[in-house]
Amino acid sequence: MSVLDRLKSLISGTKKDIDENLSNEANQEKPEESIGAEQTSSEEEIKSDSETNSKEEPSKIEVPVTEEEITPVVAEAEPEVEAEPVEEEAEAEVEAEAEEEIEEVSAEEVSEEETEESVENVVEEVSDEEVSLENEDLEDDTSDDEAEEAEVEEDDSEENEESDNMTLLKENDVYSMDDIDKEFTQKFIDAGLETVDHCFQCGTCGGGCPSGRRTPYRVRQIVRKCLLGLKEEVISDPALWMCTTCYTCQERCPRSVQIVGIIKMARNVAAQAGYMADAHKATGSFVIKSGHGVPINDKTKALRKAIGLAEVPPTTHALPEALEEVRAICAACKFDELIGFNMETNELE
Amino acid sequence: MEIAYFLGCIMNNRYPGIEKATRMLFDKLDIELKDMEGASCCPAPGVFGSFDETTWATIAARNIAIAEGMGADIMTECNGCFGSLRECNDMLKENAAKKDEINAILAETTDKQFAGDVNVRHFAEILYNDVGLDKIAELFNTNLDLNVAVHYGCHFLKPTAEVGIEESAENPTILDELVEITGAKSVPYENKMMCCGAGGGLRARDIDVTLSYTKEKLDAMAAAGVDAIVNVCPFCHLQFDVGQTEVNEKYGTDFAFPVFHLAQLYGLAMGLDAGELTLDAQLIDAAPALAKIAKE
Repeated sequence: MSVLDRLKSLISGTKKDIDENLSNEANQEKPEESIGAEQTSSEEEIKSDSETNSKEEPSKIEVPVTEEEITPVVAEAEPEVEAEPVEEEAEAEVEAEAEEEIEEVSAEEVSEEETEESVENVVEEVSDEEVSLENEDLEDDTSDDEAEEAEVEEDDSEENEESDNMTLLKENDVYSMDDIDKEFTQKFIDAGLETVDHCFQCGTCGGGCPSGRRTPYRVRQIVRKCLLGLKEEVISDPALWMCTTCYTCQERCPRSVQIVGIIKMARNVAAQAGYMADAHKATGSFVIKSGHGVPINDKTKALRKAIGLAEVPPTTHALPEALEEVRAICAACKFDELIGFNMETNELE
Repeated sequence: MEIAYFLGCIMNNRYPGIEKATRMLFDKLDIELKDMEGASCCPAPGVFGSFDETTWATIAARNIAIAEGMGADIMTECNGCFGSLRECNDMLKENAAKKDEINAILAETTDKQFAGDVNVRHFAEILYNDVGLDKIAELFNTNLDLNVAVHYGCHFLKPTAEVGIEESAENPTILDELVEITGAKSVPYENKMMCCGAGGGLRARDIDVTLSYTKEKLDAMAAAGVDAIVNVCPFCHLQFDVGQTEVNEKYGTDFAFPVFHLAQLYGLAMGLDAGELTLDAQLIDAAPALAKIAKE
């Protein structure tokens, strides 16, 4: 509880600052068009944005800008740099992070070269940029296209959880008490996963995680969010499903946190809330239909017969009454409803 | 000695040669493998355990109850089945409230109840602890002069604190010892203890991520220069067989490591041919490795 209290005070403090910024901004920018308004709304909805956009609107995902002074100069090079990760995200092909990092590095190298080539230009633009930064990043300056773009990018990178290439926390990574669902945390405790509370965030888990080095899956963050009760953020993140349950994290955890159990429980909640992939529903449907996640086929029947095994193994495949028991269990647990399976048509809906 | 033989899904429904070799091996060891009539999917720990714990635990408890009715411990030669059945068995033995909850569903839907009086054991662990390396080696008539990459998989040893077969999964030896009695040499390779990439529902949900894992493993095996891959899990087996062809397709590589479940490796050492072990039906051709054995 003390963690929540501390979080609460942290939130209320920071939130006040932001409210001030917003009213400040509102006074300054009246006549100007859309961009300021966009920023206002993105400030207010930063939570929901980071959830929905990072998942469904990959166009928001950009390589975070690490050096503001350079940014305006890089403007030309950026579309290329950004284009690739965006496409990859859209196709849910999560590429190795290393690749992104390399791209980012090369972008920085390019920008450094360009910086040298157009020093004067930079000096002008930098001063513009600095002025706007002093005004809490939010001041609108539509006369300067590049500065405008830089500001938009800052917002986007703040919203972008998945490509967290920056090491500095953003001021706008703020949660409100509305994001916290204590019942979500309680689910872990009730399920015997009270070790969620033992985690001291050392990061050993992520250090050994084979998924974390090729996908946006950040096991340490998820464990923390589960403890804090950030339910929506945890269950709506597709990265939650990038764990193969290999237990490397749990083996190495110095606090013996039952990490894999926590991930599976979080997935249970996600599935209940409708975040289940069609392919997983299909796997579930095979078990309802045949009792097996991987049912037998004609080729294997022939193989079995050829080597002197029973053509059909003595499982639910051979015993209809056994299959009925499995189906009855699925119905009693409402597993059919969970995956949208119609027992009468015997198909997924 | 009698054992309730849990088949699962992938082994009996895709790679029946593993089942054939296992039945022959245990016959020779004079251990009776009793069929678990009407058993189902374990169900898969990463996938079903991720969807709904209650459904997962009830189906697993039903499988365990079948073995309890036979009065025998369960043996499975699939890491995933081992993971699910062992975890559920432990959970219901330790948590009375959970056990009551699951038994209530079983009472409503089946004629079975979970009592908690059998153990769930892995094929490789039974061979190592109950039979012993020397006794197994007596059955062999063919020296397998192969360099192999031993793949432990995840749910055979981990989580070690609960499974207890090995104290640590960082540098285990049980499977290497079981492999080397055939004459095959277990070659060290990078990321030996890493996952094949198929588990946790990842293969179904995001095949590209899964293949990225598998490629990392295959690259390391290639660097070590092995003739074949040996595993103790039909799902890892499928991932190295089917997944290896998928990796070749996606990455333009030409990996061609034959894949043997430990039971199939023992089958070869007992002199069974590729057909009996259904190696000829696997996607990756086992012929190069088999030719190397024949030459010796």
